[in-house]
Amino acid sequence: MRAFAADLAAFVQVQKNAGLDVFSDGLLKWQDIFRPLVEGLGAKPHTLVRWFDTNTFFREPELSGTLPRLEHPDGVVPDASVPRPRVTTLPSPYMFSRAARTDQNRNRLMVALAEQVLRPAIDAAVAAGSQMIHLEDPWLGYVGIAEEDWAPLREALAVLNRDLDATLAFHVYFGDAGPHIDQLLRLPVEAIGIDLIETDVNALGSRWDKGLVAGVINGRSSILESVDNTVEVARHLADRVRPRNLYLTSNCELGYLPTVVAEKKVLRLGEAARKLKELARV
Amino acid sequence: MSMSVDHKPLLTHEVGSLDKPGWRVKAYGGQPLTEKDFEEARSWGERLTVPEYEKLLDLLHHAPFGKEQKAEIQRWSSLYALRLEESAGLDVVYDGEQQRTEMYDWAVSHTNGFERRGGVRAFDNKYYSKAAVVGPISLRSPFHNAEFSYLVSVADAELKIPVTGAYTIADWSFDERYDVDTDLREPATDRRRKRKAARRDFVLEVARNLIRPNLEALITLGARWIQVDEPGASTEADELDLFVDSFNASVEGLNATFSTHLCFSDYNLFFPAIERMSQCRQYAVGFANYDSRELGTSDDARPGYQVIKKFRDLPYKPALGLGVLDIHSDFIESPELVRDRVLYAVKVFGDPKRIHVTPDCGLRTRSWKVAYEKLRNMTAGVDLARKELGL
Repeated sequence: MRAFAADLAAFVQVQKNAGLDVFSDGLLKWQDIFRPLVEGLGAKPHTLVRWFDTNTFFREPELSGTLPRLEHPDGVVPDASVPRPRVTTLPSPYMFSRAARTDQNRNRLMVALAEQVLRPAIDAAVAAGSQMIHLEDPWLGYVGIAEEDWAPLREALAVLNRDLDATLAFHVYFGDAGPHIDQLLRLPVEAIGIDLIETDVNALGSRWDKGLVAGVINGRSSILESVDNTVEVARHLADRVRPRNLYLTSNCELGYLPTVVAEKKVLRLGEAARKLKELARV
Repeated sequence: MSMSVDHKPLLTHEVGSLDKPGWRVKAYGGQPLTEKDFEEARSWGERLTVPEYEKLLDLLHHAPFGKEQKAEIQRWSSLYALRLEESAGLDVVYDGEQQRTEMYDWAVSHTNGFERRGGVRAFDNKYYSKAAVVGPISLRSPFHNAEFSYLVSVADAELKIPVTGAYTIADWSFDERYDVDTDLREPATDRRRKRKAARRDFVLEVARNLIRPNLEALITLGARWIQVDEPGASTEADELDLFVDSFNASVEGLNATFSTHLCFSDYNLFFPAIERMSQCRQYAVGFANYDSRELGTSDDARPGYQVIKKFRDLPYKPALGLGVLDIHSDFIESPELVRDRVLYAVKVFGDPKRIHVTPDCGLRTRSWKVAYEKLRNMTAGVDLARKELGL
């Protein structure tokens, strides 16, 4: 616990030093993106499965039978030491339903996960001060999505966003979001996250009526991005895409990087955001 | 050279790593040893009938250890691991990689062109140290020669040397040399094309300039069977051809038997790419992790082994190292369960000489007690299968 507290304090300090607007606990206690939820359900983390094309593995959640309601969402609530405003990261219902081992229809499972698991987790996070809920979806980016799955995804996200007192973002990564932009913009969320390492900036279209969570920092490369280049890309996005809000972030989690590299990237991200804000003021 | 000709049917062997004993880790790291460590060294020495193990006990009582003493303790650890495998009844053995830090780090730390960047999570709370390629790659010095020479001098059983493969080394590294372009305003297709070409250059340079010279050094020392470990091989589904090219570039024309180890993947991805990997005489593949624990030799009873038909049908008819032990669990597979997994594979292959029997992967995440029990039951299960098959 002492090591966790020290790591968390260091990560919070890095975010402060970077001047970030929203703070994360870095999911430092999470052994994979599903684990606190799976453990909260009393379900069994199953076989180790490769996490897409990384050298990281997750334990496949075993979600057969009727899904119980998440009664103990404590594991997803950021530690009290994380400054506000906070962002809470969770698996998207689409990815969760696809990555699980189940005997259920996956689209029905997706909606059930939204109702029974993710919504209670989100409510607990918001009650603890999270103003942004960041749903991660590498499944859509890497594997794709069938046409008939969009409607249940919208239904699941509507469950999560109903009367929600926080910004809900749906972040596609590990793949080209270009072919899905029209459908993504129809999702009932406030912001769409795009992995710009994999997606062409020119594929995003223009005049978004949503926020854009722009994944401009490469979470899988140890090369540090140029601040000036990041600023230029962000300006390009602001001018061309014209989203309702522009959030700068990494294209995916930074957990694929050694801490020291991740921290440097967070600092660069903050520096880029600061420059961008200065330019906007001018 | 064909192993299916050289070896007996249902040959048994380990796959790679074993846990390192507490006394070895602490002595090497300069930490104080406890009574528990001394007792571990004594009890396993006695149980495995390690010759003159009392000398190790004496040595362990003489901390602090200098460089040569630490090296000597590492050799003892190798000897213990070797005896554990021989005592479990394996036909082909090694030392559980006792003298290496870890399969990736050991290779990279003997290589020019890499710099360490830090630890990243592999699974649960297990981390590995990751490096970045920053310059031209070359072998600093052959990095398995010392351990191999020692093991040749003490092994009773045949040796098979595990060597981390080129694709995995590249895949587990950051690239700060070949693909350094980060301008996101460029079209994504152009960036992807450059990244793919850079990746190819990286992987093949590792194969040619690092793996191959290291293999040549081992062969010069008398190595006959080298297992190229490629746990990362299927990481990127569209790079299976590159994995195959890297294997071929590493071993082509070299005079030894080469096999490869694949684990924790969707093995269907490897087909048809590995049809071109004809110098691979055996695939050691983990299946137990995906299988039922119920007895039976029907297709339904053995869900984890359905893909083995594809290995059977490879045109150059390699052997299959059939993973029958789940290395992520302390569950001890019974001899009967091992027997049924083996009988199922023999039924599918129709030739017991093409079936070798192994754990799914290295057993380093298990205690020696669990690893030993698993391996003993594995060889007992193979004996049952041999009887059943009249071998």
